[in-house]
Amino acid sequence: MAEIGHGGKEIVERIMEPSQAAAKIKGLTQIPIRSQLANEVIGITYGFFSPLEGFMGKADVDNVCKNMRLAGGAVWSIPIVFDLSDKEVADYGVKPGVSVLLTFGGNPMALFEVEEVYDYDKKFMCQSVYGTDEAKHPGCARTYQYKDKFVGGKITLVNRPKINPPYDPYFIPPLEMRKRFKEKGWERVVAHQTRNVPHTGHEWLMKGAWFQAYAELPIEKPLVGVLVNAIIGDKRKGDYIDEAIILTQDELRKSGYFGDHNHLTSLTFWDMRYAGPKEAVFHAALRTNLGLTHHMYGRDHAGVGTYYGAYDAHHLLATIQKELSIVPVYSMNWLYCPHCGEITSEGLCDHKKEWQKFSGTLIRSIVQDGVKPPRLIFRPEVFDLVMESAEKYGFGSPFVTDEYLEKRIPVFEIPPM
Amino acid sequence: MAEEKFPINIWINEDRFAALQKAKLAGLCEEMLAGLKVLRVYANAVERDKILKVFPTAKFDSATTKSIELLPRDVKDKIFDKIVEKESVDIMADFLKAF
Ligand SMILES: [Zn+2]
Repeated sequence: MAEIGHGGKEIVERIMEPSQAAAKIKGLTQIPIRSQLANEVIGITYGFFSPLEGFMGKADVDNVCKNMRLAGGAVWSIPIVFDLSDKEVADYGVKPGVSVLLTFGGNPMALFEVEEVYDYDKKFMCQSVYGTDEAKHPGCARTYQYKDKFVGGKITLVNRPKINPPYDPYFIPPLEMRKRFKEKGWERVVAHQTRNVPHTGHEWLMKGAWFQAYAELPIEKPLVGVLVNAIIGDKRKGDYIDEAIILTQDELRKSGYFGDHNHLTSLTFWDMRYAGPKEAVFHAALRTNLGLTHHMYGRDHAGVGTYYGAYDAHHLLATIQKELSIVPVYSMNWLYCPHCGEITSEGLCDHKKEWQKFSGTLIRSIVQDGVKPPRLIFRPEVFDLVMESAEKYGFGSPFVTDEYLEKRIPVFEIPPM
Repeated sequence: MAEEKFPINIWINEDRFAALQKAKLAGLCEEMLAGLKVLRVYANAVERDKILKVFPTAKFDSATTKSIELLPRDVKDKIFDKIVEKESVDIMADFLKAF
């Protein structure tokens, strides 16, 4: 049976068999790519970004900027573009009709069938996607760093990435993910977008969303799951290291706060744009492709600074709900109420004066002071694993340092062919 | 209206608690978040801005807790030592003189 993805199109992996690939890429001009583009090549070819089949041409980019849709009509909110300098375009001989080989880490990764070389107004792109053209917005900064020209065309993976431990079990592409959901018998799955080590506020966001998604379904057997989908990409100093994030998310299942019957952890390679509402729409497309039926959105989803209002993403999603095949689940914040003696929702408890709110930042600050938070706030198994990850992967720190950025284990590599 | 104050949370681990008990200052601790012990040192807006400038890793959590977080551990240790020395949490002006 065809697996239908975002925009109503069948998800087809664009991956060449090794036996075929060698002949196909022989003699092609090689273009090395940076990690952002390698992440996006994986996104495109495994179907995470379906219906995209390659890097966008001008018509798609223009429609995305002006109408939040691809030229073909499917909702799409963030340009996925391949950039080259004028000199590179000339030196590599990149022009419509030419195929080139994209390499990563010196090894062949993907075939790029060039259809179009074009330029686009970056300031306009920023204003449309991010609602601002300020260079200090990290998404705008990334846009301004794009080189002179964009290149559009289809992408086919010629060499599968090798996902390194401890990440390997968590790389579950769309077609495989949908198989897993069927095996588990889940009729509904709700996505939890994260770049964090979970505290109990996050845990309850997931539990709350699970209740919301369960709704009227029968309860004789487990029919609803939570999929943690961690975004793995560019890191900023002071973030939790990726190893700690992915392992602790899964630890909530392993330690029994959830179970195999309702919880699965996975990752997507993507460099966050911090586009707030537009990133929320992108997440809807991504998770539709992964086979999810519901998606959690909290306050200021994927935002940064004060660029977006707390509920802007919810409002934007409401305008396109009919075109989406994923249902947004909105989450209120969870907090600790000493009167109730429990983690509760700000929508439930009325002991407002006694509320003790906590944030990821607050927990990081506690951990940084070498203090183990109470189990109602931060699970001891999660704390222990954060500390273990610091030693094992973080050069002594659970947070990203210069040393980590320089020496970390790459999440994936492209092996020689 | 009273001047707005922004806390720095000095989280109390066993070592810090032992030091406080020894100095007979354990009473300065407050309990937060299901029993976690903390010393709260308050900064005014001017002091807050100076802290954020002098210690670039520090972050003001404006959305949730209105507290100054992520000061380096050794800075927190120095603040803690100052509290023990002065037997008070009212030390921010004094502490910031050195910077
Ligand atoms: Zn309460």
